[in-house]
Amino acid sequence: MSQRAAQHDAILATLVLLDPARSGEHPSTRLPALYPQVLQVWRRDADGDWPAPSLASAEALSRASARPALATFDAARGYYDLVLAGSPASFALRIEIERWVPWADWPFRRDGAVKAELGLAGQQLRLQAGEDAGGWRGGVTSGFVFDKVLDTPSQPFVLHVQRSTGPADWPWARLSALAALLAALVAAAAAMQRQRQRRRRAEQLLRLARTSRLNALGELAAGLAHELNQPLTAVIASTQAARRMLDDDPLPQATLHEALTQARDQARRAAEVVARLRRLVERPGGAAAVQPVVLGDAVRGALALLQPELRRLALRPQLDDTGVTVVADPVALEQILHNLLNNALQAMDAVPATQRRLQLSIEIESGRGVLRLRDGGPGLAPEVLEHLFAPFVSTRRGGLGLGLSLCESLAGAMGGTLSAQNVPPGGAEFRLELPLAAAR
Amino acid sequence: MTTPLIHLVDDDDAVRRSLALLIGTVGLSVAEWPHPQAFLDGFDRESIGAIVLDVRMPGTSGLTVLDQLLAQGVDQPVIMLTGHGTVEMCRRAFKAGATEFLEKPVDDERLIEVLHECVRQHVRTRERLAADLEARERYARLSEREREVLSLVIEGLTAKQIARALGVSPRTVETHRANLGAKLETDSLAQLIRRFALLVEEAGAA
Repeated sequence: MSQRAAQHDAILATLVLLDPARSGEHPSTRLPALYPQVLQVWRRDADGDWPAPSLASAEALSRASARPALATFDAARGYYDLVLAGSPASFALRIEIERWVPWADWPFRRDGAVKAELGLAGQQLRLQAGEDAGGWRGGVTSGFVFDKVLDTPSQPFVLHVQRSTGPADWPWARLSALAALLAALVAAAAAMQRQRQRRRRAEQLLRLARTSRLNALGELAAGLAHELNQPLTAVIASTQAARRMLDDDPLPQATLHEALTQARDQARRAAEVVARLRRLVERPGGAAAVQPVVLGDAVRGALALLQPELRRLALRPQLDDTGVTVVADPVALEQILHNLLNNALQAMDAVPATQRRLQLSIEIESGRGVLRLRDGGPGLAPEVLEHLFAPFVSTRRGGLGLGLSLCESLAGAMGGTLSAQNVPPGGAEFRLELPLAAAR
Repeated sequence: MTTPLIHLVDDDDAVRRSLALLIGTVGLSVAEWPHPQAFLDGFDRESIGAIVLDVRMPGTSGLTVLDQLLAQGVDQPVIMLTGHGTVEMCRRAFKAGATEFLEKPVDDERLIEVLHECVRQHVRTRERLAADLEARERYARLSEREREVLSLVIEGLTAKQIARALGVSPRTVETHRANLGAKLETDSLAQLIRRFALLVEEAGAA
C-alpha cells in the first residue's frame, strides 16, 4: 500500500513537472485508465481555482512542505484528494481507496475474519469488515491487532488490521483430534486403572479367604487348647487332691476313690478330644476331589497371588515348566503351593536382595510329576530339617507350626510326597511329587 | 465364727469337682456353682471365705460376674481362673477388683496358699467391720450430754476442765463419765480412745 501511495506522489510529481496540459492532452482522461484508483485529476493554473476549498488549503500546505499534501479524506465515500503545489500549475488527484488497496497482494482473505480499516484524523474507512468482534464468535479475545502507519509522509494513513479470533477461528479439526486423542488416553488409563483395581480386589478377596482359613486354623488351635486344657486341669487337680488325701489318717476312702476316678475319666476325655481332632483332619472322602491338574498352571496361579510380596522383595521367579499334568485336588494343591511359596518368600525376607532367588522346575521323574522349588534363603537348620513336617514346629515367631505339617498331609492324601533339603550355595529346596495324570 | 466357705464357679463339671476335692483336702468347705447366674442369685453374701471364678463360661463370663460382684459391694476376695490368660485379661481382672489371677491347670500349692490368704484377709475385713458396727451401736446409746463429755475426754481434758467448759460441777462430769464407760462397755481410757476417737471425730464433722 505504501508503494502505491508513493506512486501517487510520483504521479503528481510527474504531472507538475511535465504539465501535460501544455502538451495538449488532458491527464484526467488518460490517468484513470492507467491507474484505476485515480478517479479524477485537477489542474490549477496560477490564476485558476480549485473546485473545493480544501484543495486550496492543501495546496498551501504542499507548497510549504514541498511535497504532496492530503486535502480531503472522505471515509464514507471512500476516496481522498491529494494535492501537489507546483508551478506553473498545481495538480490534485482524487484516489479511490477501494481501488488503491492492492488486493492482489492483500495478505488476508477479503471475506475472512480479518477486519481492516484505514484511518486518518479520526476517520475510519473500513476496507473489509472481517467478523466483527461484537458477534458470537468474538469477545473471547481481542484477537490479533496490528496498526501500520503508511510510510509515505504525504499520506499518513494508519492501516488498522484486527483479526478477532473467536471459537470459529480455532482449528476445530485439530483441536477435536487432540481432544479425541486425550479422551482416548484418559479412557485407556481409566480402563487400566479399573482393571488393576479389579485384579487387586480379586487378589484381596483371595488373600482374605486364605487369611480367614488361617484364622479358622487359629480358632481351631485355640479351641483345641481349651478342649484339652479343661480335662488336664481336672486330672491335675484330682491327682493333687488324691496325693494330699494319702497323708490323712484315716484315709478318706470314698473321696480318694472319687478323685482317682475323676482323674482317669478326664484323661480319657483328653484322649477323646485328640481322637476327634484327628478324625476332623483326616476328612472323610478327601481323596474324592482329585482331578487332572496342569502343574504349571497351578504354580503360575499361586505365584500370581503372591505378586505383591514378589514385588516387595524385587524377586522374579524362574519357572522351568515342561508341561506336566498331575492328578491332584486343586484346592489342596493350591494350599500346598501357597504355603511353600510363602515360606520361601519369608525365608528370603532377611537376606540381601542380590541373594534372593526363586527357581521352580516342573518335570517328570520316574513316572511321577515333580515340582522343585528352590529359594535363596538361609536354608534349613539341621535340627529344623529333622522335624520339618512335624506339627507345631515353627521357626517363625508366633507361627503355629502347622503349615508344612498340613502340606505334607495334603500331599500324602493325594498319593504324593513332600520332601525338603538344603542345596548349594544356600537355600532350601522343596520337592513335591504327585502322580501323573493318565495319558490320553 | 462359721467355717470359711469357698464358692467355686465353673461350668465344667469335672474341673469344678476336681478343684472342690482339692480345696476340700485342706479343710475348707466348698460350695459348687455350675451356673454363674445361679451363683449371683443364690450365694450367701454374709459368709466368710472366697470366690473362685472361671473366666471362660457360657452365658455370663467370669469377668462380667466379677463386675457385678463389685457393683453389689460383695467383700469376699475373688480368685480368677483362666485357661489362657492374656496380659489384657489379667489387667482387666485386677482393675475390676480380683485378688488373684491363676492359670489352668492350677498348681495345688499355689491355689491353696492363695485361698488361705484370701480367707485370712476376709476374716480380718469382717472383724474390722464388726468392730466398727459394734462401736456405732454403742455410740448410738449415748445421750447428747454424754457425747459432749466423751469428745472432751478424748481431747485430753480433765474432769475439772470439762466441768468448767460445760458449766457443770466436776461431780456431774464424773457421773457422765461413769455412764459413758458402762454404755460403751469400756473400762479404760486407752480403750475408749482407740475404739471411739474416729467415730467421735466423724460425728463432730457431720
